[in-house]
Amino acid sequence: MYLVADISVEICAAKSCKLCTQYCPEANTIQYSDELGKDQGFKYGSAYVAVDRCKGCAQCVWVCDNMAKNNAIKMIMIDQLPKAALTENITYGEKSTTAVLASPVVG
Amino acid sequence: MSLDYVKFSNGFEKFMPKEYRDMVEHGPFGKKVTVSQMGNFKEVLEEHPMCAGCAMTLFIRLAIIAFPNPEDTITVGTAGCGRLAISQAAIPFVYGNYGDQNGVASGLSRGLRLRFGDKPKDVVVMAGDGGTADIGFQQVLHSWFRKERFTTIMLDNEVYGNTGGQESGMTNRGAVLKMAPLGKKFEKMDMVQMAKVAGCAYVATVVPNNPRRVESVIKKAVLIAREVGSTYIQAYTSCNIEYAIPTDKVMEDAKTVENDRYQFTEYVSEEAKQYLTERYGYKEFLAKPAAPAAAIPGKA
Repeated sequence: MYLVADISVEICAAKSCKLCTQYCPEANTIQYSDELGKDQGFKYGSAYVAVDRCKGCAQCVWVCDNMAKNNAIKMIMIDQLPKAALTENITYGEKSTTAVLASPVVG
Repeated sequence: MSLDYVKFSNGFEKFMPKEYRDMVEHGPFGKKVTVSQMGNFKEVLEEHPMCAGCAMTLFIRLAIIAFPNPEDTITVGTAGCGRLAISQAAIPFVYGNYGDQNGVASGLSRGLRLRFGDKPKDVVVMAGDGGTADIGFQQVLHSWFRKERFTTIMLDNEVYGNTGGQESGMTNRGAVLKMAPLGKKFEKMDMVQMAKVAGCAYVATVVPNNPRRVESVIKKAVLIAREVGSTYIQAYTSCNIEYAIPTDKVMEDAKTVENDRYQFTEYVSEEAKQYLTERYGYKEFLAKPAAPAAAIPGKA
């Protein structure tokens, strides 16, 4: 098993700085959804991680903790995530993305 | 090299992989995208084999987003880490022999001007410090002296990271590396000063811990290279493997190095300032209005 980034929607959707989307070295790995967060009653949308693309560098954790001061991202073993976003379940819209969350581990 | 090549061939759409369909339908081609929209559109850069947490990858990602017209851009590279990612983008990439990337780009840039006339076709060279300052040094300098109209970007990781950690001309004096155990005995080459001496119209140093600044610098460099002359960007993109930087501390290192010896600098020639102002509406180079004279006590 290996570590991937996991973003707390509760914390992220309260501020929604989007810094992590700009500092991840991997393309289309930390995505942003207007719906995720708002559908749970929060003010903003939230960032989320396409875990099949995450290389586990934790750069987003440093950025979230030290630049944004949000502490919303933690590194978690992928089999400890009950549901996560995968590239094949992400849909692009006009201004945002949506993701259907599914179990990241097969079997 | 146009929007035509990012369309589906008739009847093939349903057979294309999801990533390709997303790129055609929701990519940046023919639109204006900015770094603040990252995470909301399909990027030109795809998955690549570069190391986890690599600052060079982040810079390449930001640079490709900043290209003013990605559908009309060709990148040129050479041996080195960077080409592992640059070649995984949905824009044409020319892989030169080691060190000849600026020679290849010179011919390419001239050929595109002959073929397409005034329609802008941007050529951007992205190579490492070894490819630019050591092995490609002669062709880089000559392309600048000839005022070839394309952008040269040095991905400066201050080491030959791809081959095990030999010192390069851009390595700092005293740096001890796996393949330079006695420490480098000479100073880091001042390529910024050389670019100015060689007549580059735009020269900038940048660190990828400020995405908006990277975007601004790349845009200006590519636009100026369309008509004015050579442009050069030197980007600090640390090698977390050879310099043993923990991946979650890569941005902390970038910040430290930026404050220490890699401050943001920007040189824009007068001709380039005028060009950006008149052609693309840049306001930052306009003369500042004179401050109103301080009121003199006792006078109306």
